[in-house]
Formats: sequence, structure tokens, C-alpha cells
Amino acid sequence: MSGRLKREADAAVADMKGTGTLPRKSGELVFHHDWERRAFALSVALSEQGLYEWEEFRQQLIATIGAAEGSSEDPDLEAPGYFEHWLASLECVLAGKALLPSPFLDKEQSPPRSA
Amino acid sequence: MTKKRDRRSVLQGGLGALAATTMGSSVLGSEGPGGGHSDEHGHEHPHHAPANRYLEPRRTPQENEALAERVEALENLLVEKGLVTRETLNAIVETYENDLGPMNGARVVARAWVDPEYRTRLLEDATPAITEVGYGGSQGELMVVVENTPEVHNVVVCTLCSCYPWPVLGLPPRWYKSYAYRSRVVIDPRGVLAEFGLELDESLEVRVWDSSAEVRYLVLPERPAGTAGLDEEQLAVLVTRDAMIGVSRVEAPAP
Repeated sequence: MSGRLKREADAAVADMKGTGTLPRKSGELVFHHDWERRAFALSVALSEQGLYEWEEFRQQLIATIGAAEGSSEDPDLEAPGYFEHWLASLECVLAGKALLPSPFLDKEQSPPRSA
Repeated sequence: MTKKRDRRSVLQGGLGALAATTMGSSVLGSEGPGGGHSDEHGHEHPHHAPANRYLEPRRTPQENEALAERVEALENLLVEKGLVTRETLNAIVETYENDLGPMNGARVVARAWVDPEYRTRLLEDATPAITEVGYGGSQGELMVVVENTPEVHNVVVCTLCSCYPWPVLGLPPRWYKSYAYRSRVVIDPRGVLAEFGLELDESLEVRVWDSSAEVRYLVLPERPAGTAGLDEEQLAVLVTRDAMIGVSRVEAPAP
């Protein structure tokens, strides 16, 4: 609270429904490791910057989770694994905007592009 | 504002000692010995995962290290390109992790103040009425709105853990989760409210509502006098999180 302009959480991010719902416990976001926080913040920051609409990221996240979980209608979002999907989705969206050099993605298995 | 904050810190400070001596009890919410407590995890684990599964380290340290490096490389790249700053990233984490605003609830309250029919629907069946204003995000728990009147003051607690209507109020404040608040507000609501700077007339009935996994309460505060000229949006700005928990009143804007 150092007098910095107060930020407000975006409901489109905080209240995502269905597949892609943020892992929470008693309403609080669950981060297991600091890199999860960083990946989360990167996605939100780039959307705030106007590099993509949040909905575009969300659709990619849904597609990534859907592909990983197969036909499961009940993906275990509380589990570590959620932010792997998140990170892969972020990389995928950025690659789609030619914001990532290709070697970045080659190391990882690319998730399917969302429709 | 500062006055209230001071009092709050008194509450927290005074309770530190109490909480420390009752460490065993203070973890009751997450690891209660009784069978009853396992039920409260229902809302936290809608995917039927075992209660503590989310805490299990399923990644090997090597996997975790690789992921951390991957994010760091991405972050460095984006910072170098000037697309993000580390300060922004830190601020975002802070906002979403600790400081989600109670704006959703404020809009519900403001709507109830200006629209008597909405108010009736809200008090009769809050869950759909809240969705009407555009906010759901709940995990199936029932929302109940309790109305403050000149005769009755309502205050919300979760004695068992920290059940909280987060879709409308954002994240619970730290004191809400404290063992001190959870235990004392039931025994001595007037005393606790006084520590928040809210002195209640003796004639006022105080009702304490205990939230659970199934039912979450939201206080509909009294509309402050002198706000007749304000519209819904202007009213919503006045409504605070604390007023919707019931530990303060909504104040009219300074003239």
C-alpha cells in the first residue's frame, strides 16, 4: 500500500467458469510455486497491454486442457498441472502472434490451437 | 479510515496471543478431527478430489525446475521486448492473490437500494438475484442476503474455517480468517464490532450468521442518509466489503 494506484482484478479473469476455472481454495487462488504466479501475471499483463483479448487466452486454455484431459468432463483443476496447461496456452497464443522465437516452442510439445 | 484501521490492528494484535495459545484449534478449519469437518471441503473441491490432494507435490523437483526456467525465460524475453515490467507483474500477483475487490457485492447492494422489487427478490432468494446482476462464479453454495434495519444489525462469520461469499466479495480479509474473529464475534459481537469502530445502540438486535460450505451470507447494509440524489453506480462506490460482512456501516460521501 505504498500509495500506488490501486489495481482492480478483472472479473473476466477472476471468475472464469467451466473448464479453465482458476484453482481456488476457500475462494483464494492456489499457487504451488512462484513460477505459477509469474505465468499467471504474464498472461494477465499481456492481455491488459492489449496484445490479445482475455477471451482468446481463455479459449486456448480450454483447448489445451481439453486436449490433455481427453474426454474427461471433470478435469482436476486443483492439481498441479493446471499451470502447465496455462503456460503452454500462453506460449501458444504468443507464438500465434509471432511474439515468440520458434525455438521457444520446439522444446515443448505444442498444444493444439483453439478454434 | 485510518482510525478504523488502527482499531483493526488492535483487534489483530490482541488476538495474536490468543491464536498462539490455541494453535491446535486454529487449524481446525482445514484438518478438523471430527467427521463433520470433512464436509466443509465440498465447496473447495468441486471435482471430488481428496481434501488435501492439491497440496501433494506431484511434480518432481526436476520438472518444477524446468518449468520455472521456462517461465523465467519467457518473462525475460517479454521484459526485454518492453511488453511487461516486473513491477506490473508483481502488482498483478498481489491484486489477484490478496486484494480482489468487493465490487460485485457492492453492485448487488446498490441495485437493492434503488430497486425495491429487486430488493424483495434478493432477500427472498439471493442466489438467482445475484446472478441477475451478472455475477455467479459460485461453486454451488447457496447465497443468503440478510438485511440491516434500524432494529437489526447482521454480521457474518465462518466459525469453522473461512467460508466466504467470494464471488460477490472477492477474497476474505485476513482478520476474517483469524481464530480470534471467528471465535469472539459469536460470543461478544458488540465488543468485536466496537473494535472495528462500530458502536451499536443497546436497543439494536445483533444477529450473527455462521457461513458454511452450503450457505454463504451477505449483509445488505442500510442505505446511508443523504444519498437520495445518487444513482446506482454512485451508490455502489460507497459500499465497502466490511459493510457487507457487517462490521461497519456504509457512510454517506463527504459533502
